[in-house]
Amino acid sequence: MQSSMELPLVLFTVLSQAAIGLVLMNAVRQCRCAGPGEGNVRMEWTLIAAFMGVGIAASLFHLGHPLESYRALAHLEKAWLSREVLAAGIFFALAVLAAVTGREKGSPVLMWASVLAGLLVVLASGMTYAPPALPAVNNALPTVFFLISAVVLGAGFASWFAGAESQPLLARILVTALVVGLVVRLTVPCAWLSGSEVMRQTGMAWLGAPLYWVHIALMAACLGVLWKSRAIPVWLPILALAAELAGRAVFFSETIHTSMNIGGVY
Amino acid sequence: MTGQATFKEDCMSQKTRALSRRQFLKGLSVAGAASLLPLRLLMPYSAEAATAFREQDFQIFRNACPRNCYDTCSIKTYVKDGVVKFIEGAQESTFTKGGLCVKGYAYPRRVYSPDRIKYPMVQDGRRTGNWRRVSWDEAMDRIAKKILEIKEKDGNLLGMGLSKYSGNFGITNYGVEGMMSSLGYTTRFVGTPCWPAGIDAQNYDLGDMWCNDPEDMVKSRFVIIWGANPAWCSVHSMKYVNEAKRRGAKVVVIDPIFTQTAAKGDVYWQPETSSDGALALGMARHILDQGLVDTDFVNTHAIGFAEFAAYLRENVTVEWASQVSGIPAVQIREVAEEFATADPATIWIGYGMQRHTNGGASVRAIDALVAMTGNVGKEGGGARYGHLRTWGFNYHALLQKQPEGSTGFIGATGPKGEFDFTKGEAASFTDRTVNINKTAQAILDTKDPVLRMLWVSCKNPFAQDFDRPKLEKAFDTLEMVVSVEQFFTETVNNSDIVLPVTTLFEEWTVNASYWHYWVGINEQAITPMYETKSNIEIAALLSRKMNELSPGSCTFPQDIDTREWLEKEFNQGMYDYLGIKHWTDLKNGPVKAKLASSASWSDMKFGTPSGKYEFLSELCQQNGHDALPRYKEGRKAYDEFRLLTPHTKFGLHSQFVNLDWMQEFNKEPFLYMHPDDAQEKKIADLDTVRVFNKVGELKIKVKLTSNVAKKSLVIYEAWFGAGNDFNVQNLVDDESSDMGAYKTGAPGVAIHGQFANVERV
Amino acid sequence: MKKHYAFLVDSERCIGCFTCAMACRNYYHQEKGVVWRHVYPLSEEIYPHRERAFFSLACNHCENPTCLNVCPVEAYTKREDGVVVHHQEKCIGCGNCIRSCPYGAPVYNPVEKRAEKCSFCHERLDAGLLPACVQSCPTDALKLVDLATLEPENHVQFPPGFPKNAKVNPSTRFILPKVPTMVRR
Repeated sequence: MQSSMELPLVLFTVLSQAAIGLVLMNAVRQCRCAGPGEGNVRMEWTLIAAFMGVGIAASLFHLGHPLESYRALAHLEKAWLSREVLAAGIFFALAVLAAVTGREKGSPVLMWASVLAGLLVVLASGMTYAPPALPAVNNALPTVFFLISAVVLGAGFASWFAGAESQPLLARILVTALVVGLVVRLTVPCAWLSGSEVMRQTGMAWLGAPLYWVHIALMAACLGVLWKSRAIPVWLPILALAAELAGRAVFFSETIHTSMNIGGVY
Repeated sequence: MTGQATFKEDCMSQKTRALSRRQFLKGLSVAGAASLLPLRLLMPYSAEAATAFREQDFQIFRNACPRNCYDTCSIKTYVKDGVVKFIEGAQESTFTKGGLCVKGYAYPRRVYSPDRIKYPMVQDGRRTGNWRRVSWDEAMDRIAKKILEIKEKDGNLLGMGLSKYSGNFGITNYGVEGMMSSLGYTTRFVGTPCWPAGIDAQNYDLGDMWCNDPEDMVKSRFVIIWGANPAWCSVHSMKYVNEAKRRGAKVVVIDPIFTQTAAKGDVYWQPETSSDGALALGMARHILDQGLVDTDFVNTHAIGFAEFAAYLRENVTVEWASQVSGIPAVQIREVAEEFATADPATIWIGYGMQRHTNGGASVRAIDALVAMTGNVGKEGGGARYGHLRTWGFNYHALLQKQPEGSTGFIGATGPKGEFDFTKGEAASFTDRTVNINKTAQAILDTKDPVLRMLWVSCKNPFAQDFDRPKLEKAFDTLEMVVSVEQFFTETVNNSDIVLPVTTLFEEWTVNASYWHYWVGINEQAITPMYETKSNIEIAALLSRKMNELSPGSCTFPQDIDTREWLEKEFNQGMYDYLGIKHWTDLKNGPVKAKLASSASWSDMKFGTPSGKYEFLSELCQQNGHDALPRYKEGRKAYDEFRLLTPHTKFGLHSQFVNLDWMQEFNKEPFLYMHPDDAQEKKIADLDTVRVFNKVGELKIKVKLTSNVAKKSLVIYEAWFGAGNDFNVQNLVDDESSDMGAYKTGAPGVAIHGQFANVERV
Repeated sequence: MKKHYAFLVDSERCIGCFTCAMACRNYYHQEKGVVWRHVYPLSEEIYPHRERAFFSLACNHCENPTCLNVCPVEAYTKREDGVVVHHQEKCIGCGNCIRSCPYGAPVYNPVEKRAEKCSFCHERLDAGLLPACVQSCPTDALKLVDLATLEPENHVQFPPGFPKNAKVNPSTRFILPKVPTMVRR
């Protein structure tokens, strides 16, 4: 089984994480500052809903039979993918509702419900893309990767909508997330090199992939820019989005499947 | 290849698509839809039984694989709505035992392959690919007119040649030879590239090539598989080797390559290629010294042993044998003693082993080893090579008369082949015979008259004949080449006309094996696809056209029914041998010959002039060889590496490997070479390299492995389909083997007596 | 233990002839590029002679199948006799089982745009016949066994060269190949 780049899944995971990140930043700002509805509430929820909507639409292109995708809710009992579909659906519904009903101040109920749904999406996604067949990521790493993506993209895009008082906070969050993200995404593939054969091969594949280094470079660039100026330039979230898309493409295309090594030493 | 594009479009319009897998399963799983219902968990287990396979949903037919293969499987064919759905091995045959092989199971794809030639086609300019469809009538018209033109020009039909061998062993396909006879006296390519040296050797020693029933190998206590690779080329025989092993027999595999069979033996010997004669003689010397000779056999049932023993004492030592073959003396002694004391012991002599300039001599030495230890005529023993005992058909299709007033060749007796069962009559005219193993040279050299036209059927000269560059030049001298084929092979590319022929599922015939003793009927399971015809139907069509243009110019019957012609092949002798009343009994499944003993020569009545086993054969000497199985050196190296081009498990010569089904598992050819040699030449695993010698060159990817000996290059011969120019015959010349002319009309070929060099590209 | 059909892969008897792989293709006529049964050569690190020992593998009909667990539309069921069945008509082609199975058993059918895999020839089992691959094997290297009645002999569950996943608990059992005495020139 050869890994493909899975562009629909790259788009779905990155965009959904951007949406969820925005919701998380919403909650953080709300706790720190005045209350819900700090900044341009309606526009923000619109972007959240848009990100999520486009992401979900992209994911349908991944299916052989997208028109039957509603049946993917059938196996909540055991399948993380079913749970991901449910959580994503609920999150999207909440986001649309918030965007449509949004006023000067957002609804705290909708926000906290979205936070919960969003975190469940990240967890369910993380578990879905951590199958036993991919030893390098058959663990909490996908969830961690996705969480980092959410915070990075959430902080970045939130700067478009947040008020002036929240900008330093968002910048600090973004810097922290970029540092944590770089550390994690640089050390994990290296750690894989001392793992079992397929894990080691995954490490070699990631470190040998040009797109991986593009991802690292773009993240580092974002960090560099922020280190200098303590405010998030308006174009920075786009750069961060490019970085995340590159990194996600590597995640899907360079993570080695155990069946590629059958007959060899494990 | 632009020409191919046009004809492919043409063919696509008539493409018949076998039932898709989804429809197939849908038809089977009625309950599948029901499983969508919430109540599915409550459905009883028997609901699944309702979707069970039912044989009665199919029409069952019996077929027999007509390929040149030891196993000649009996096939059970499942047809639905006139389409072959799947096939399996017949359970009735203990040899086939319900399963075929990777090639046999690809048959359904062969029948319905989109690449199959569907209509008669004419190529405007050889190798241009400018093929266009013609009607059968036009094709026959062109061919008939050419034949008549030759007759007019030369006064006889010796300018027309037939290149045919073992591409289809269905007995009625000898109708191709019959067709040639029915036209007049023609030029025949006789002999066989396959096994002639060994056939002659066994004839000199025993008086015939006649092996034990392979199913009795289970009784053997010591099995030597010498230069054969049944794990690839006779998979059904492996179960008997395994069973012998399970019962305690020791299995020794001797081969210059560490084959798959070698991996399954107890001991593997890797001797110097073509040194097998020396090795066998060394073992014989030791057996003689140890007093392990079966004196009763050599005194009562053999002649010339004293002379053979004297030769061994004077000329052969174990040390010498070790030096020549590379096998340590201690091993030679040990295995010789074990072989001589095991009762019974047997040696399977492979065809690869005798594809050398000294092949016949080597077989004689190995025969001697089996004979001197008293293993001839024993169940579980014997020098196993092959047999033709189950081939006692009438050869009605083969035996056709030349038209009145035909003139031909005046000279030695007419054409032969190991499958020639005709009792040659002295005639004033005969066919002209040339060596099939030097096809290219024969086409170039033959004069008075020259060869003008070639009919090719059941053979792929460009894949199987030697010195491909020379063959291309030879073909270019021919005025017309007609190929009867299923796919656009290289031979077809070098032809002017191609006639589409049927597969085994589309004609009636019967097949026998040259190894086991089962015979199976081959029923017509489906109507012939597109406009394909069987070889005898083509002959009938040609006859009709010939007689239309020139009455009396062809005696081949003009209306034939393949089923009727099948019937004509059976005789009481075969019925008695098989223990059946009528050939239709075979419709219930294959039948095994009723053998007095599983051992050949159990009655010790040998077919030699003396009636005994001949260690010393005067006949052999008369034919230009040694009377004794003296050591004969192999071919001297003329290049740095030995080149071996044995058979792949994925194909039978140029058949099967071209199918897309087969390419799922066998995507491309490889050269196999030893890592040490590769290192010297700075070649890494999977590099592309160039193999080259005085014949030509080949570009290929390499796999490094110690399965191959040092200074040895191994490339498996195959044809990967139109558009792929991989062909080992660019490296193999047509050097003759020592024996073969006696029983098969021409000496064999030293296919493994080849040399080449290699470099990175 | 409950009845549980399984494949016994005897690599000592196996001659890597690919008969089983083609027998499956002959029976089901899979689309181009879609292979249900592979014959994997063992690497020289495991068996010292290149391409001379093999594992014939299709679906391992696991006792705790990943495919069944991760399928969002419940397109997999496990029969009472252990066979893991893929109901292709329910499949939406999400690829999750393809990604998740450690053994690469489910594969994508680009024409149907759904997954598919070895079905253990259950319609043949139900008729008292052997799976096409098992029947075809000329050396009895691929056998049908019942884990409930399989006597402990010389077989293992996770030989070198086969991904170990005790949680998934594949039902396939293996016998390891041997090597001959080598006498080279």
